[in-house]
Amino acid sequence: MESFEVLLESSAEAHGHLCPGQVVGVRMAMLGCRLIGLDAPRRHDQIKKLIIYVEMDRCTADAVAHVTGVKLGRRSLKFMDYGIMAATFVNLETGKAFRVVSTEAARSLANSYAPEIADKYPQQLEAYKRMPDSVLFRVQQVKVKINECDLPGPTRYKTSCSRCGQVVRDQREVIQDGAVLCKPCAQESYFTDAAEVTWPDMNWKPENSLKQSRKDARSELL
Amino acid sequence: MLKKIKLEEAVGTQLAHDMTEIRPGEFKGAAFHKGHTVCNEDLCRLQKMGKNHLYVIDLDEDEIHEDQAAAILADALAGDGIVWKNEPREGKIKLLAEKDGLFAVDTAALAAFNMVDEVMCATLHNHTLVKKGELVAATRAIPLIMKRAPIQRAAAIARQNGALLAIRPIRKAKVGLVITGNEVYQGLIEDRFAPILSEKVNALGSEVSEVTYAPDDAELIRKAIRSHLDRGCNLLMLSGGMSVDPDDVTRQGIRSAGAGEMHYGASVLPGAMFLVAYVGDVPLLGVPACGLFHRITVLDLILPRILAGEKIGKAELAFLGHGGLCKDCEECTFPHCPFGKGI
Repeated sequence: MESFEVLLESSAEAHGHLCPGQVVGVRMAMLGCRLIGLDAPRRHDQIKKLIIYVEMDRCTADAVAHVTGVKLGRRSLKFMDYGIMAATFVNLETGKAFRVVSTEAARSLANSYAPEIADKYPQQLEAYKRMPDSVLFRVQQVKVKINECDLPGPTRYKTSCSRCGQVVRDQREVIQDGAVLCKPCAQESYFTDAAEVTWPDMNWKPENSLKQSRKDARSELL
Repeated sequence: MLKKIKLEEAVGTQLAHDMTEIRPGEFKGAAFHKGHTVCNEDLCRLQKMGKNHLYVIDLDEDEIHEDQAAAILADALAGDGIVWKNEPREGKIKLLAEKDGLFAVDTAALAAFNMVDEVMCATLHNHTLVKKGELVAATRAIPLIMKRAPIQRAAAIARQNGALLAIRPIRKAKVGLVITGNEVYQGLIEDRFAPILSEKVNALGSEVSEVTYAPDDAELIRKAIRSHLDRGCNLLMLSGGMSVDPDDVTRQGIRSAGAGEMHYGASVLPGAMFLVAYVGDVPLLGVPACGLFHRITVLDLILPRILAGEKIGKAELAFLGHGGLCKDCEECTFPHCPFGKGI
């Protein structure tokens, strides 16, 4: 794994700004990986061993994902909407899992660790660099039962909604009165009043740009 | 875990902890000690102490008793020059100075330690001069029984920079004094600085090896400094010429003597025009005129720290501000007052 400084810089660039949450996230990821025995989580031989559950959608979550390379689409990043500054690092090979929790005490202690800085966020940013892991985090060893349909890899299971016909993957369907429903049909969705519409340029496709690039390639050859 | 039993059922069981009795204005202490087997005769006294139930301890694997916890905490807190005995009284362990010196507390680590639930440590102020055997801190776990992991985390926090508490020995320095000022050099007025500074140096166990007088001339001040350094002085104190008058050239003299690092100004009254400089590893302290008029000044806060081997820089002088205002009391009680205690 790269050094903390290198990881923080690249994490801030990927996230869009440097903030105290980036410092906490980078350190959380470094500690979590160390605890489950992965020293280069983005390397090909380790990338498939790792699943991380983040419990917040804040700056820290981006930093954890950046450092470790876990991704939502790769199913190695799980978002648990708890509103807690914590992440659980699971080594699929060994089954070991550690939940790293950012302490609230660290916020109160920022002034003690960076007393020469008066502004809140710059002070937190510097203090979180200076604090040892023992102050910044609490760690729990936990057991995480991962269902097969939540694991990375090809889709293992598909079904169709008995009401709208939508294909539902990975056992996310709902059974109501014996009927298989997708979540929107089962009234478990985040949106309401869905009404199908048309939109301008409905027939656009990237084909034109492909053709253009082919032309460019040909003219270069000529 | 703890099991609560009725007092009348407690005969024959062993007490899980010291039982503190308080008789207002008369007595506070352990009426019964941990491990004492309760007998019929004890019941009346326990009832008078307001006890109708007692605890019986049944420890889970991941739990520890407060006495074990206190020992883990004390062990982590105690650094160089700190001693303690594994004899907790009412769950509390005292930490003592093993030798004379300057008591040092990692205050950030102490704050972090005390932010862990269920543990506490209280100390004397950082930078307090202490004698061998003096009580400097005490620690305990708050509940009678607790999980082991938070105690071990608190212990790790205490060890983040080695150890949280230490006694730093005060070295015996060979001190050179440079008393500057035309008025003294020319004999127009009698110098009172040398005896005052010498007394402060002697009180801390060091000695003034030589006193040199120099006029307000940067070159002669430079020569005086170099001369002390060449004779092996490892701490120099300079008085006079520290203010903003055009004749005040002591700083120039210090600079030209080879000071690589120089911090002028301390957040202390009296002592705002104090100066700390270093020529190599040798500290030079510029004492402003307030040292003549006030019994206690910034020098009394900094000199022990210098002699304890601390490097004093901009931050150390700046952080003195909180608590750095002497109230100039009619009867000075320093060090038993708030002056210099804010850090």
